[in-house]
This record gives sequence, structure tokens and C-alpha cells, in this order.
Amino acid sequence: MGKEKITGSMKARKFISNTIVHTILAIMAIIWVFPIFWVVLTSFRAEKGSYVSSFFPKSYTLNNYIQLFTNTSVLNFPKMFANTLIIAIFSCIISTFFVLSVSYCMSRLRFKMRKPFMNVAMILGLFPAFMSMVAVYYILKAIGLSEGAMIRVALVLVYSGGSGLGFYIAKGFFDTIPKALDEAAYIDGCTRWQVFYKITIPLSKPIIVYTVLTSFMGPWVDFIFAKVICRAEADYYTVAIGLWRMLEREYIDNWYTCFAAGAVCISIPIAILFIVMQRYYTEGLSGAVKG
Amino acid sequence: MKKMKRMAALLLSGVLALSATACGGNNGTPQSTTKGGSTTNTTASGGNNETTAASGGEESITCNLLVWTPSEDQSPDYGNWIQTQCDAFAKEHPNWNITFSFGVASEAEVAKLIAQDTEAAADVFMMANDQLTDLLPAKAVARIGGETETFVKENNSDTMVESLTVDGALYGVPFTSNTWFMYYDKSVFSEEDIKNLDTMLEKGVVSFPITNSWYLPSFYVGNGCTFFEDGTNPDAKIDFGGEKGIAVTNYLVDLLANPNFAVDVDESGIAGIRDGSIKAMFSGSWSYESIKEALGENFGCAQLPTYTLNGEQKQMYSFAGSKAIGVSANTKYPQVAVALARYLGSPESQKSHYESRNIIPCNTSLLSDPAMAEDLLVKAQNDTVANTSIIQPFIAPMANYWTPSDNFGKSLRNGEVTHENAAELTEAWNTNMNTTIVDN
Repeated sequence: MGKEKITGSMKARKFISNTIVHTILAIMAIIWVFPIFWVVLTSFRAEKGSYVSSFFPKSYTLNNYIQLFTNTSVLNFPKMFANTLIIAIFSCIISTFFVLSVSYCMSRLRFKMRKPFMNVAMILGLFPAFMSMVAVYYILKAIGLSEGAMIRVALVLVYSGGSGLGFYIAKGFFDTIPKALDEAAYIDGCTRWQVFYKITIPLSKPIIVYTVLTSFMGPWVDFIFAKVICRAEADYYTVAIGLWRMLEREYIDNWYTCFAAGAVCISIPIAILFIVMQRYYTEGLSGAVKG
Repeated sequence: MKKMKRMAALLLSGVLALSATACGGNNGTPQSTTKGGSTTNTTASGGNNETTAASGGEESITCNLLVWTPSEDQSPDYGNWIQTQCDAFAKEHPNWNITFSFGVASEAEVAKLIAQDTEAAADVFMMANDQLTDLLPAKAVARIGGETETFVKENNSDTMVESLTVDGALYGVPFTSNTWFMYYDKSVFSEEDIKNLDTMLEKGVVSFPITNSWYLPSFYVGNGCTFFEDGTNPDAKIDFGGEKGIAVTNYLVDLLANPNFAVDVDESGIAGIRDGSIKAMFSGSWSYESIKEALGENFGCAQLPTYTLNGEQKQMYSFAGSKAIGVSANTKYPQVAVALARYLGSPESQKSHYESRNIIPCNTSLLSDPAMAEDLLVKAQNDTVANTSIIQPFIAPMANYWTPSDNFGKSLRNGEVTHENAAELTEAWNTNMNTTIVDN
């Protein structure tokens, strides 16, 4: 009897606390999703201009997307989109390779400068990025990458060149892979490189996904470096500059809803990449060590 | 980006060396080329500048010219204005073999782009006159002299010339004026009504961007408040204090309490014109197309009205500036660049700019053309420049004006300014805008 009573009140209490927690979570989820939801709504809004008196648009249209991709004479969004996509793909490949290689070295190899190097990397990571932007511009100019089509190369370099120093998270992950696996492979005659791509890489899918996603997103969200390096060369603008320009005084009235449409569009490649790679997040060490 | 900083920081030593040399180079060249740029036209250095207008007798030059304009000027939607003009310019000068390349820079932010790397900047660019504040210290803009200077002075109103003159030197060929004026709905306000703001407020809702410091001084200047005496004396102060300023603040407190008055913030004015809740607003020529589309037949625009302060009529004044074609102090071909600037500022060029993009001309002979003079927009803007504006000061201490004034506008809107504290807050604002926050 007594026992049942206790379980009953426990159940009730659990129900109440669950309800409260879920209500709070639901409210927070709504708050978080709200701005995104609003951008999506705005991208379908038929009324022009940036100022509206109601949350929900009075009428809906696809014209914002059509204008964004067809009205290219003043702000060439498709071209900016293509630029950014190209830059993102290349810098994603390069920086993923850099990060994984450096992490592997730091995790598996032992050499004299290892500790000092890791400390230096940590300290360098504390400096804000834009500190170097003018210097970076002049370096790129000195090697002839600041004009014309080379701007794309310059941006790929900028986004991927220093990525190797961001090895901390991946290194931490590699450290969790048992060394016994490596040793077994060495006994079977593997070289270090073979251990890297035949043993370590297949076991590190979650961290590869993470690295790929962050390095792919960099070029889409970076404004400062793109602005400094592209300067007046509108042909090589990335979406970040394009979206910013849509909000300038001359354009904001006509382009505001297109701006929202553009914001929705740039989330598409990132979302696709995430959905494709997401399933690897859950994989990992499962089944690696069979005792 | 995160990764970027690391790479860059690693290369720090290299960076330092490189930027040091780059700076060294920069410091040397502009000075000498500025000299070249300014003397080209005053003396006959090069021996060809006196004949720029004529086609013959020029030495043959092969050069690359980089031209920066807003993207509309390069757009096929607006008739490829700059490309067409440059081609026509090249035809006028058969001895010059010019390869043009174009970059995009809006007039309002061109100085930042130029200052980033003065050597790689455009030879010829379009700028708003306030950009001179940044361009001159960077030694990035060439003085316009000689025949071109005379041409500019003869063909433009004094306001236009003054807006580009610093210490007696001219720094650009103006192609349009830049100011704001009044748009209104003709079905609501008559020609008589629009002469006075308070009369208008009785008939319909008027919106004014009171939180924007580019607009706010309009009322104060009307009641005798001044900027640096005549706007050019850096030793003088901005004088919004005393009775004259306080009276206007009190007027604005009442204005904000008027149900027929709406604060225009975040483009709410245009939205109100579209949905009919606002009948008159204040903006510049960039809003023309949107407002014209919204009002259609009832579209009206005019110079600024007066307002009634304690029974007296006071004129509102807007800031006026100009947009001009500037020449880089670092250009290798100053005579070609200056000739192109002059060509782009010529009446023919201004006319085609107006036809393609509604850029209101400022050439005086072009403005007296009847067809031009009848155009509502042209008339409104030019009446404003001529009658109801002051030149926007662009001397360095003016930099302290903007932020305190934006904030004062916001206090007004938020109701923090009342009749009780109007005197105190106006004085505080006056002190703030005369206080240097950042040492120039």
C-alpha cells in the first residue's frame, strides 16, 4: 500500500516537473526559432520595403527569389553565390586536410617542438582575426593575388591557410582512439600515412564532419576579409558583401525582401552538407575495438 | 576566420616587414603625385593640357584607367552609363589609347576603399563631398586646377563649388547635388499648405526622421543655430545652445506630441506612404522611384517648408552637399584622368546621367533648360539647395556632431525630453557635440 502511494506521488511529481521543463524548453525553442522563421516569412513577403506594421505578411510571393536570381545587373547574387560556393568547397577540402593532418601529428607523433608548438598555437589563437586584415591584404597584393580572378584564390588561401592551427578539438578526439589499434597496424606493416588514412580517419567520422562543416561555413559568414580583399571588384564579391550591400541606403527599400530570400538561400548548401554528413555524427568508435 | 588569424599571426614578422615597406612607399608617392596632379593643369607640364577639349595636338598616350562608380552606373539596366561615357570620351581623344576598367564603389563609402590602399585605388572615382574629410588626410585626392577649375566654377552654383573647396583648393568636378527635401501627397496638401509644416500637420500625417542627425538640425538652423560660424571655421563651435536652441527643443516636444506627426525611423516613412497612413515625408532623390510608384498621380515634392515657432515663421534648412568626380592623387596619367573627370562632369554627361538614372544635374546652364526646370524632382532638389539648405560642414570637428545628435533625437522620440528639462538637455547636447571624443 505504502509503496504504491510513494510511486504514485513520484509519478505525479515526475509528470509535473516534466511538464514544467518541457514548457520552458518549448518557449525557448520558439524564441530561438523566431528570428529564422521571421526571415523565411519576410523572404516570401509581397509588400516592399523594410518596415512593416504586421508580423505576418499581408500577401505572399515568390518574386523575391526570382528577383534575387534574375535581376543581376546591379547586385549579381547568382555570381556571388557561385563565388562563395567555389571558395567554400576549396577551402573546406584544404582546411579539413590541414586540420586532420596537424591533429594526427600532434596526437600520435612525439617530437621536440611538440609542446612549445601547441602552446604557441594556443596563444596565437587568442588574437582577434581582423587584427591582421590589412597586413594580409598587403601580403596578397605583394604576391599578386589582390586583383581579378586571383581574388578567389586569395580568399581560399585566407580561409584555409591557417586552419591547421585549429587542431585542438580534432587532436583531442584522436587522443581517444586507442594506440593499440595503431600498434596492431604497424605490426601488420602499415606506414604512418597508412595508419592515418586506413585506421584513424575511418574511426574519426564525427570530428571530420565537424571540421568539414565549420570550414565550409567560414566563407559564407565572413565579411571582413572578403570586404578588404575584394575592394571594388564586384565580380568577386561573396554573398556576405552582397547581402550587406542590399541593406545600404540606396538599395534597402527595393532589396530588403530579396535580402531575406538571399539569407534563406545561403543556408541551403550548408543545410544540405549538414544533412548528408549528419548520420556520421553518431558513428564513431562503435565496433572498432573487438577485444 | 578563426584559422586565418593564426596563419596571419604566424606570419607576423613577414607582415611587419612588408607593411612597413608598403607604408614607406605610400608616404613618398602621394606627395609627389599630388603635386603632379595639381600642376598638370595649371602649368603646361606635359604640354598638352591646354588642348584637352580639342582632339588634335595631343601627345599619344597609352594607358589603363581604373574608374570606380556605384554599380548602377555600370549596369545594363541603366544603360551602361559609365561605359558609354568613357567610350565617347575615348573618341574625343583619338591620340589617347585608353583601356578602361571599372570597379564598384558607392559614393558614400569610396574614401574607405581608397584609403585602404591608395596606390591600387581608382584613377577616377565618384564621391560624396563629405568623403573629402577622409580623402585629404590620406593624400588620396588630387587638386583640380587650371582650365578644369575654371570650367567647374563657371558652370556650377557657388554652393556646389564651396562644397568641394578646402582652403581655397578645389577637389572634384561636381555632377549632382546631394540633399533631402519634402515629398507629399498632392491630394492632401495644396501648394499653399506645403509652405508651412504646421499647416500641413493640420491636414494630414507628416513623417520626419527626427532620430537621424542628418535631418534633425533642420529646425535648429532655422532659428539661428550655427555650425562653426559659416561652417568652415574649425576654431569656432557648433552653437545650438542658449534661448534659440531651447525654443526649438520645446517646439519639437510639442511636435512629437502631435497625433499627426510620425517619426520616420527604419524606413517607416516610405511604408506609411505606401499604405496611405503618412501623407508627407522627408528624404532625398534616392527615394524618388519608390514614392512616385506609391503616390502615382498625386506625387508631389518641394523645397522644405517653414515652421511656426512662437508665432514666427522659421525656415527649415537641410544639409546640402554634392557628389563629384574625383581624381586620385596617385594616378600615373593625371592629364587623362582630369580630362575624364571633366568630361563626366560636362553638361552632356550630366544630361545622360539624368536620363538614365534620375541623377539630378547641377550644371547651371543645363538646369535653366526649360524641360529640366519643369521636372518636379529637379525643381524640388534645386530649390532646396538654392533656398532652404546650408552646406554640410565637412571640417574635422564635425565628426563629433553626429553621435550626440542621434542620441538627442532618440531622447526626443522616447519622450525623455520634456518642457521641464528641455533647457538642461539642450545645453548638455550642445556641450557634447563640441567635445572631442576621439582625438583627431
